[in-house]
Amino acid sequence: MEQKSKTMNNKSFPLKVIDVKHETKDAVSISFDLPYELYETFDYKAGQHLTLIFNINDKEVRRSYSLCSSPVLEENIRIGVKRVKNGLVSNYINDKIKIGDTIEIMPPEGRFYADSKKEFYKTYYLFSAGSGITPIFSIAKTVLNTEERSFVYLFFGNRDQESIIFKKELDELKEQFPERFILVHTLSKPKTSWFSKNEFEFRKGRVDEESVNWFINEYPPYAQNTEYYICGPGKMIEDTEEALHKIDVPQNRIFKEYFGSGKEKKGIESVDNAVLIATLNGDTVETTIPKGKTILRTLIDFGENPPYSCEGGVCSTCACKLVKGKVAMKKNLGLSDEDVEKGYILSCQSLPLTDEVEVEY
Amino acid sequence: MENKKMMHTLPVEAYTSQKWFDMEMKYLFSTTWQFAGFVEDVPNPGDYISVQAGLNNIFILKGRDNRLRAFHNICRHRGTQLLRAVGKAQKAITCPYHDWTYDLEGKLMSVPKKDEEFPELKGKELHKCNLNLHEASVDIFKGMLFVHPEKNAPSIMEFFGEVEPYLGPHIVEDLVEYSEKEEEAFYTKEIKANWKIVVENYIDHYHLSHLHEGTLDMYDHSKAEFGWKGPHYWFYEPLMPDYLADVDNAVPYPLIKSVPREQIGAYVPWLFPNIGLGENESAWSTFHTIPLAPDRTLVVIRSKMENASSWEYTKQMTKSSLSSVWQKYGNKGKYEGDAKTDPMASGDFMEEDIYACEQQQKSLYSPMFSVGAQAKRGEYAIWRFQEEVKKWMQNHGAKI
Repeated sequence: MEQKSKTMNNKSFPLKVIDVKHETKDAVSISFDLPYELYETFDYKAGQHLTLIFNINDKEVRRSYSLCSSPVLEENIRIGVKRVKNGLVSNYINDKIKIGDTIEIMPPEGRFYADSKKEFYKTYYLFSAGSGITPIFSIAKTVLNTEERSFVYLFFGNRDQESIIFKKELDELKEQFPERFILVHTLSKPKTSWFSKNEFEFRKGRVDEESVNWFINEYPPYAQNTEYYICGPGKMIEDTEEALHKIDVPQNRIFKEYFGSGKEKKGIESVDNAVLIATLNGDTVETTIPKGKTILRTLIDFGENPPYSCEGGVCSTCACKLVKGKVAMKKNLGLSDEDVEKGYILSCQSLPLTDEVEVEY
Repeated sequence: MENKKMMHTLPVEAYTSQKWFDMEMKYLFSTTWQFAGFVEDVPNPGDYISVQAGLNNIFILKGRDNRLRAFHNICRHRGTQLLRAVGKAQKAITCPYHDWTYDLEGKLMSVPKKDEEFPELKGKELHKCNLNLHEASVDIFKGMLFVHPEKNAPSIMEFFGEVEPYLGPHIVEDLVEYSEKEEEAFYTKEIKANWKIVVENYIDHYHLSHLHEGTLDMYDHSKAEFGWKGPHYWFYEPLMPDYLADVDNAVPYPLIKSVPREQIGAYVPWLFPNIGLGENESAWSTFHTIPLAPDRTLVVIRSKMENASSWEYTKQMTKSSLSSVWQKYGNKGKYEGDAKTDPMASGDFMEEDIYACEQQQKSLYSPMFSVGAQAKRGEYAIWRFQEEVKKWMQNHGAKI
């Protein structure tokens, strides 16, 4: 597992909002002014995210949002944020954030990215739904602008014509790269548009097994070195991945990022007041884990400063190695089976199953 | 170094000796992207072909994800070249000799009587036993399949990318293959000459107005443009003005629509090391040169044309036969004589070229043989091609 290279220290920086764009009625994109001295710290790969820290109702909350900007274009770093129903932070951002505001932000990270290189010759299949387009858009722009000959095939699912984030910018990308960029929209509840003059082409339905199969058969790869990137809600990812597995796409060519919540494991019988020994930042601390609390929360409440960002079992920032005892993760959308086999756990999701657990960050 | 008799920059023995032939097989044809056919040869998931590329026999298979995979056609058991795809939806690759079976990623999945016969494999996961198929690479360039024996081959566009803008504007994917007989290439011929003699004839501009004075004279050789991009040769020449003026009538087959009017002409590049293209106003062909022995070469030409109805073809051929252009150009032998027995009277440029190649090969064994002079512009390509062959082989370990 490679990760936590530069955010080990959990550091954040105040960045100024220089643009707020209402992409749809439920989504904004926010651009930040990056001072020159932070260029290196905020260097990122297409597909990665930023973690924003807010104080809402006297409580510190962190949320990760994918960058929709491209590191290879001269554009400000920019994130996309879609409202989550009853979501504390996403609605706050959509309603309150304005140009001139300053937000505490942790440097980019995330393991979902395309490491694009000029000489690559590949076909990139990108599957996204809803706000899952955010990192996918960054990947599409980056690949098309970096790899002179690679192909990008984007299959993008939305509810209707009006909920498509970055619609105009995607069209522009298509105009710019007509021979190497294929964009197919699929809408689950399209609005009839008898009166609309500009014909908007789309397929009806969701991004699911049937439509993924259709898409791949309709658009077979030209460059034979293919990669598959999936970003969207849990169900869409599972369906897409399943469809890819069924047609023998090898796992090492599939990359995915969960948006929204995945399934949470219910009824974990955790041990009350288990002893926790944790090594972090070179120190070893010992405490007990109160009932129902995660390892991460226990350490934060104990006054420690463990690395974390999404607290949703996705980003893997809080990953640590379990060296003794057993834990159960409520959710794990970040670690691969191989990582778990090696003993890695997401501390934000881990409840103790033994009287003593020992972890190393 | 001993004083060897030279062609231009390669020794004559490079055209005659088994030793050189073997070195080329190893250091040239087994280290380059090799032509393997057209994309439509492996049209559907589950379809597969195997092709010989230098010393390697490579198995190309299309998976249900529509991606092509390439493996060395060697069962890891006893090395038999028997691989084929089997099963429902061709989800497995198997060797019928002892039924060892691999998945579409080449991972060994099953071995009959594994535990009894192979105690060293007992209890192990087969795909971790270092007995997976050797992977190779396959990719597509201009509608053509190419294979490379290495798993992590340099990308095909790194190899061909630089020359691509100099090739014809033809959209090959829109064309359809033409052949007299089903499942057969348009033209196949074994030529009694070293493969490099055949290549050098192909890229020789100097000979066009002479050997082919009555056969390829519908093109304006005096306006030819040609050059090199990396190891690849490119060539373009326009139609003769009067042919161009009447091209809609005179062209023997329907014009290829993807070629813009102002770019009509003959594009005749040579892609290193052994595949030429012939891209003109009404046909698009591959000229695959397959070395069989130091003095024997198989040439396979596959040809594509505009996707038009047979009615369109008939109509065009009728129009063409009435055009006065053909009273002036093409189809005339260099000399008068029996077209059936004398290539120089055949009026067929292939016959003329084959004759020239075979006669040159014969003279290589003569004690009196030497290359007396080289045309500065018209034969530069021959020297350059030999240089590229030499350089490539040296860079891949040949001591020459």
